[in-house]
Parts: sequence; C-alpha cells; structure tokens
Amino acid sequence: MLDIRRLSLRYPNGKLALADFDITVGAGELVIVLGGNGSGKTTLMRCITRTLQPSEGSVCVNGTDLTRLTGERLRCARLELALISQHASLVRRRSVLANVASGALGRYGSWFTALGGLPAMELHLANGYLAEVGLGHLAHQRAGTLSGGQAQRVAIARALAQRPRVLLADEPVASLDPEAAEDIMKLLRRLAGEENLAILCVLHQIELAYAYADRVVGIRDGRMAFDLPRAEVSPDEVRHLYLSRAA
Amino acid sequence: MTATHLPPNEPHTRTADSWSHAFASAVRIVLVLIAILVVVQALFVVQVRPQDLVTGFHGMVDILRRSMPPDFSNLSTVLWPALETIDIAIFGTLAGLVLSMPLAIVAAANVTPSRLLYYASRGVIGLTRSVPDLVWALLFVTAVGLGPFPGGLALAVHSIGMMGRLFAETIEHMDMAPIDALSLTGARRMQIFTHGVLPSVLPSLLGISLYRLDENIRSSLVLGFVGAGGIGFQLLTAMNLFQYQQVSVLLIVTFVIVLTAERLSAIARERLA
Repeated sequence: MLDIRRLSLRYPNGKLALADFDITVGAGELVIVLGGNGSGKTTLMRCITRTLQPSEGSVCVNGTDLTRLTGERLRCARLELALISQHASLVRRRSVLANVASGALGRYGSWFTALGGLPAMELHLANGYLAEVGLGHLAHQRAGTLSGGQAQRVAIARALAQRPRVLLADEPVASLDPEAAEDIMKLLRRLAGEENLAILCVLHQIELAYAYADRVVGIRDGRMAFDLPRAEVSPDEVRHLYLSRAA
Repeated sequence: MTATHLPPNEPHTRTADSWSHAFASAVRIVLVLIAILVVVQALFVVQVRPQDLVTGFHGMVDILRRSMPPDFSNLSTVLWPALETIDIAIFGTLAGLVLSMPLAIVAAANVTPSRLLYYASRGVIGLTRSVPDLVWALLFVTAVGLGPFPGGLALAVHSIGMMGRLFAETIEHMDMAPIDALSLTGARRMQIFTHGVLPSVLPSLLGISLYRLDENIRSSLVLGFVGAGGIGFQLLTAMNLFQYQQVSVLLIVTFVIVLTAERLSAIARERLA
C-alpha cells in the first residue's frame, strides 16, 4: 500500500532532515512512528504528502510514485492518501456533515461542487462515516462548537470520506486529554482492520504505541533507528530515541 | 571618593548613558517643534480667521430663522429623491461587491493564483480607491449624462477599491489550516475557495458590505451636488433658490435616512459577529 524507499531530504542550507528512510505499511496495518522533537517525523509526513519535495527516494502509494508527479496527476494521486493532523482543521462555520462530505470533493469536477454544492450521495455517505466515528447525532451541528476530541473524530470521518487507501496521522492526539487520545487510537486501530487501511501514525505517547501499533518505527536525527513489531521493541531502544544528541 | 569604589569602566558607561539620554531628549524636542510647525502652517494655509465666525454669526442666525418652520407641504416631492438616494447606494454597494470579490481573491497573497495577477489587482484596487467617489461621479455624469445611474456607477467603482482591499485583507488573515487540509484531500482550487475560504470569511465579508452600504448612503447624498441624482440635487437646487424651509425638510429627511441606515447596519453586523 505505502512503500517508501531511500527517502531523503536535504534543505538548501545543507542540513539533512531525512536520510535514506525505508518503510512499508501494508493494508490493515497500523504503524506508529516514535521520535523526539526535531527528529524528522513531521518532515517524513510532509515528504509523503509532497508538501515538501524530497531530495531523493520514492513514495509509492498503491504502486504510484508520488515523488515523480506534478499538477493534476499529483492531485489525483493524493486522493489515495488522507492526512489527519494535530489540529482537526475543520471549517468552523460549516456543519459537521458538510465538513465530512468535503473530504470527497477531489472526486468531483462538476460546476455544482465548484460553486459550493455537495452531492447528495456524498452527504448520505458522510452520515455513515460520522456514525462510524460515533458522531452521527452531531451531523447538523456547527464544526466550531465541537470539543477537541469530537473535532478530531470529524477529521477522521472526513479522511474516510476521501476513501483513501493510506491514512497518515501526524500527532493526532497531541492536543487531546488521555481519555480522548485513547478513543482516537482505538478508532484508528479499528479502522485499519475494518476498512483495510494502511495507517502510518506519528506519536509522542510511547504507551499508546505499545498498546495499538502493529509495528513501531523509531526515528532519530532524520534516520530510521528501528522498525520492529511492537512486542519486540525494548524500552531501552525507545529511551534512546529521546536522548538529546549532547547526551 | 566614590570613583575609587566603582569598577574601572563605570565612568565610561555613565558618560555614554548621559550622552544617549541627552540625544534622545534633543530628538524629542525637535519632533515636538516639527509637530508645532506643521499645525501652524496648516492654520496659515487654510486662512483661519476666528473673527469671521463672529461677524458671520448674524448671517447664520438669519438663515436658521428663514429655515423655520420646515415646509412639510412638499414632503411628497422629497420622497422619490430620498428613495433614489438609497437605491443609488444599494446599486453601488451590490455592484461593488460583485466586482470586488474576484479582485480580492487574486489580491490576497495567500490564495492568489499568480504574482502578476496579484500586483495587477492590487493596482486596480488602489486606483479605484484613491480617486474620490465625487470625482468618479463627475466623470460618469460626463460619460452617461445626469441622473442616478452615474451616481450608482461612481459608488460601485469607488466601492471596488474600498471593499476589495478589506476583502483581500480578511482573506489574508484567515486561518489557513482548513484550507491546507482541503487541498490535501485533492480538492480543486475553485472547490477549496467555495467550500473552505468562502464559508470562513463570509460573516466578515457581509459585515464589510453592510458597513460599505451605510457609507455609500451618506456618499450618495452628496453625489447629487454634481448632478448624479438623489436628494443632494434637490438640496443644491433649494439652496440656490433660497428656499430655506425646503432645505430644512431635506436636511431632516437626510438625517433620518443616515441615522436609520447606520442603526440597521450596526444591528445586522452585530448579528453576524
């Protein structure tokens, strides 16, 4: 599903932000990336979504290498790849249902959607996705009135509306309380299995990684430190990720 | 005595401090003098003569006396120009809104499709804003003749500049996270605008438009002075014919229109906030 090979990014000032990163996430798999601040986790996500252009390497989603695409072809390829981030990034003045349905806009090229309309079929499906994340009863509420946990669930429903094969989650629970964070991780775990999604999730919470990941990937100074099934990850290896370079 | 207890570089530091303090004081005095000079030259240039207010007091009282009581017998003849005044403002605001929206989109640095279009639209917005609506009215009266239409056109063109700039700034200051999120779903540029940008900034845009309508109603009262229709034309005619009782009626109607528009606009903007 998601196959990353020798992915590297060197900034114009010469700093190597990501070096020879290899990772594969299969359908139905939840892979969690752990690493300290500035280790390159978000850079990795941005290179995968092509909001940053990697210097070398490939990012294949279902066999299509995103690093070689531009313009309309890149836009179409991105339909396979959904991203949820730390903040839900919803349009606060629109309804929850409209926010979810807008995840599918990329599939439509009609004037109706260009002028602000949402296809009836997408609204119907959006109701289903909202029910799936447990928020069916809030469909007609304004997105701006939701709590942080609810908003993040709506962001996940919007990602589902996109009908992707790969779901990227960049610190999706960073701004949530422990209970809401657990709920979101349970949801991601369930979606990986039920929707057969390949999920790559960046986290800071080690205990959540131990609880929900199929595999844990460690990243330090832009390089992969380990890629192991969660049962094989030792506390020492994880602790090493968070040691400062000076130490 | 004291100097022996100070570190060796202390006298130097104190000297430098006192010099910089003296320099700052001198700069402050010069700035105050410049400000006074600016005010004095303004008084000279506008030829301020307070004594004229005293000598002209009798004339002003005479005009007020001749304006009373207001002649309401001709009120029906004032209603049509009053409606014309409001409609000029409505037309000008709506036309300005429709024309300024696309300009504002390309004039907002965060959503503009190209730098060239950005500078071109900023240029158009700057030009339409910098020329006063009264001058636009004079130009349109010459082009399309007397009446309310040139007034409406003048307000529309001036509103393009005023609203275009405010719309562009509103779009520039919006939260870009939902827009980036929509962009990553593969949505097209136009879809991102209608589903992301527009719902986010709509209340602000409506607020700006209502405020502009309020401003345009006030402006359209004056446009009649140059033949661009509305109550202003009636006011000028009545003054030229020394019909001061008619003038006072027109001023009362003007006052009611302005105050009502201002109040309604404020209420509507409060509800949108």
